[in-house]
Amino acid sequence: MALKEKDLHTLSGFPKNKMGKIVGYDNDHLKMPNKIIEMGLLPETSFRILYQAPFNGPMYVEFGDEKSRIALREEEGDYIIVEELN
Amino acid sequence: MQDTQKKQVLLVGNPNVGKSTVFNALSNKKQKTGNYAGVTVASHSGDYTYKNEEVEIIDLPGSYSLYPSSEDEAIFSKYLIDHQKDYAGVIYILEALSLKRGLLLFQQIQDLGVPMILVVNQIDQAERRGIDIDVQKFSEALGIKIIQTNAKEHIGIEEIKEAVLNNEFLKTEKVSFETPAEHKDFIQKLASHKGFDNEYKAWMSLSLGTDSGRIESITGAMNEPDSKSLVPKRLQVQETVRRYQNVDKILANVITKKPQFKELLTEKLDRILVHKFWGYVVFLLILLIIFQSVFFLAAYPMDGIDWLFGEMAAFSAEHLPQGPINSLISNGIIPGVGGIVIFAPQIGILLYFLYLLEDSGYMARVVFLMDRLLRPFGLNGKSIVPLVSGTACAIPAVISTRNIENLKERLLTILVTPFMTCSARLPVYSIIIGLIISDKTFFGIQYKALVLMGMYLLGFAVALLSAAILKGFIKNKGKTYLVMDLPTYKKPLFWYDFKMVLGKVWDFITGAGKIIFIVSIIIWFLSYFGPKQQPDQFVATNVELDHSYLAKMGKGIEPIIEPLGYDWKMGVGILTSFVAREVFVGTMSTLYSLDDDAPEVKVIDKMRHDVKPNGEKVFNFATGVSVLLFYAFAMQCVSTLAVVYRETKSWKWTGLQVAMMTGLAYFVSMLAYQILK
Repeated sequence: MALKEKDLHTLSGFPKNKMGKIVGYDNDHLKMPNKIIEMGLLPETSFRILYQAPFNGPMYVEFGDEKSRIALREEEGDYIIVEELN
Repeated sequence: MQDTQKKQVLLVGNPNVGKSTVFNALSNKKQKTGNYAGVTVASHSGDYTYKNEEVEIIDLPGSYSLYPSSEDEAIFSKYLIDHQKDYAGVIYILEALSLKRGLLLFQQIQDLGVPMILVVNQIDQAERRGIDIDVQKFSEALGIKIIQTNAKEHIGIEEIKEAVLNNEFLKTEKVSFETPAEHKDFIQKLASHKGFDNEYKAWMSLSLGTDSGRIESITGAMNEPDSKSLVPKRLQVQETVRRYQNVDKILANVITKKPQFKELLTEKLDRILVHKFWGYVVFLLILLIIFQSVFFLAAYPMDGIDWLFGEMAAFSAEHLPQGPINSLISNGIIPGVGGIVIFAPQIGILLYFLYLLEDSGYMARVVFLMDRLLRPFGLNGKSIVPLVSGTACAIPAVISTRNIENLKERLLTILVTPFMTCSARLPVYSIIIGLIISDKTFFGIQYKALVLMGMYLLGFAVALLSAAILKGFIKNKGKTYLVMDLPTYKKPLFWYDFKMVLGKVWDFITGAGKIIFIVSIIIWFLSYFGPKQQPDQFVATNVELDHSYLAKMGKGIEPIIEPLGYDWKMGVGILTSFVAREVFVGTMSTLYSLDDDAPEVKVIDKMRHDVKPNGEKVFNFATGVSVLLFYAFAMQCVSTLAVVYRETKSWKWTGLQVAMMTGLAYFVSMLAYQILK
């Protein structure tokens, strides 16, 4: 598997255990699974990536005021544009 | 036919909010609760009577939105929308810890004009997190009656029943989702044109889309230029985002956050349970503990059952009048049924562990851990749940694939799940392993347990391997993804699960018992009678087993099974197990009881000492391995086939599965026997 250049502005490239904020979605977001939005990963939501499964497996993300937890793959994370908080 | 006397009520909510627990607390009928999205795989119903009113509760699969992304969500939306006339109202369950997410679906349903009662479950959990909910304000803001519950402690259940009795379901007149300005004109026209009573219904008729995703088919002859630019998916996204904004506004007035913030148990546990290394170690340990218990904890009740049926057979042999009936009961029915009842403890222990794992919320973590590892095989992390529950039974496992969104991954999972070692194989494995593996131990672990564990691993490996091969032959339909809620851990319902297991085990005994009862009678008849030996006889009775019709039939198929190392008795056993695998053991018990005049000798000992005409043991190492492999791979279960057909709606895939599995079984068993003999 070719190593992918990680984009720090997407969720998949964001460092672990740092607080971040979702700012929007990739232009391609019509291809993005609706479930991402339905689960509450919306713009302005704060988040923190707590864990990631080995070999670039799914990310374990805690988000929002209610500290919900969600698992999603890097491919899904690529759609989500983020920035560092504080 | 629907009973018109009964009031029908739907239970609706997100997955993992305690919906099934509320269902169990309300209804008399028992249903499996699970803390993993997808356990409530189909709609279940239950009844209760409260103050002389009969109520039927229908528990629908959990969902996050009316727009389905998987089969179980589609079942949910379809039922809710199509059956509006049938139910009195919806009881909507909201988990206090995730109000926001739950309100999305709540408001969608409310906007459809469905009367509802809102139940907020586990408020105590929210308080621990420093979230204070003003229920009074909440109720006013939503225009709905709110009941607070803690379903596991049975708190608030009476109130729900009372509210249902008094029909306190409320509709809102005001739609909470405002049609976006750019579509407003068009939606209003559509609503009046098609006769929808509110704008949201008109909106939804577009945003739900059709199978082809084309909106023109709905707007039909309206000749609206605007409609060409409408994409259902874009409308859905627009709606979801707006609803969340609206929910935020409501919650801002209802929730007060206190500075205190206790760490949840979930957060502590997950540091280990989803750890890159320790997470996998724990998962393997859990599996090891389960299999160790299946073999050893179960040994004690199994000895008891064995003794009991032995005594019963000896008693009936002695006290019933001598003759065919005595032989039928003592040598046919009792050993046949006993041969299967003896495995109830093992099946019960296995099921109990699986239920506890599901309940606790741990399964979602296993999905998280396994997703990356399963992907090279064309499977999804969610496939691990059917695969693991396939170790109990393939039937519920195949049904539980409904929450896998991608159709290719779902089909692959269905096709390979029957390779997993189900509990019906356990009796066959146990008896064969008992015959061919010694009692020695290896660092305190019995060889027998290691071999049994090996059989489970073999099933898993072959499931993965065949998925990897098959994935090249299935066209990809849609995108694969994993977006999954990780629920908070919950204390499993130990006592409730125990009762559930007893029920399932009883189903197993009566279900398998019935089949084996009939099969053992047929086998007894075929073995008691034989082709006539003197010209004046119609048939020969009370013949030697070797001269019976059964032997004749068995010997008829010997050419086919001989390369696998089986004698005619095993052939009969294999033939009968195409009804269900565990029948093999019942058939063997009956056959070996018939062969001997000493019912007090254990069947397994008779099998151990049985020899072929050439003096070779029937159950030697080579034939034993051959039988194990045959049962590991062959598709021998009519009920599973029926479910696979129902879920895939394809004879092609169902047929392919039978041919692939049984062909592999024959080939591998033959290979093993020919090498080892």
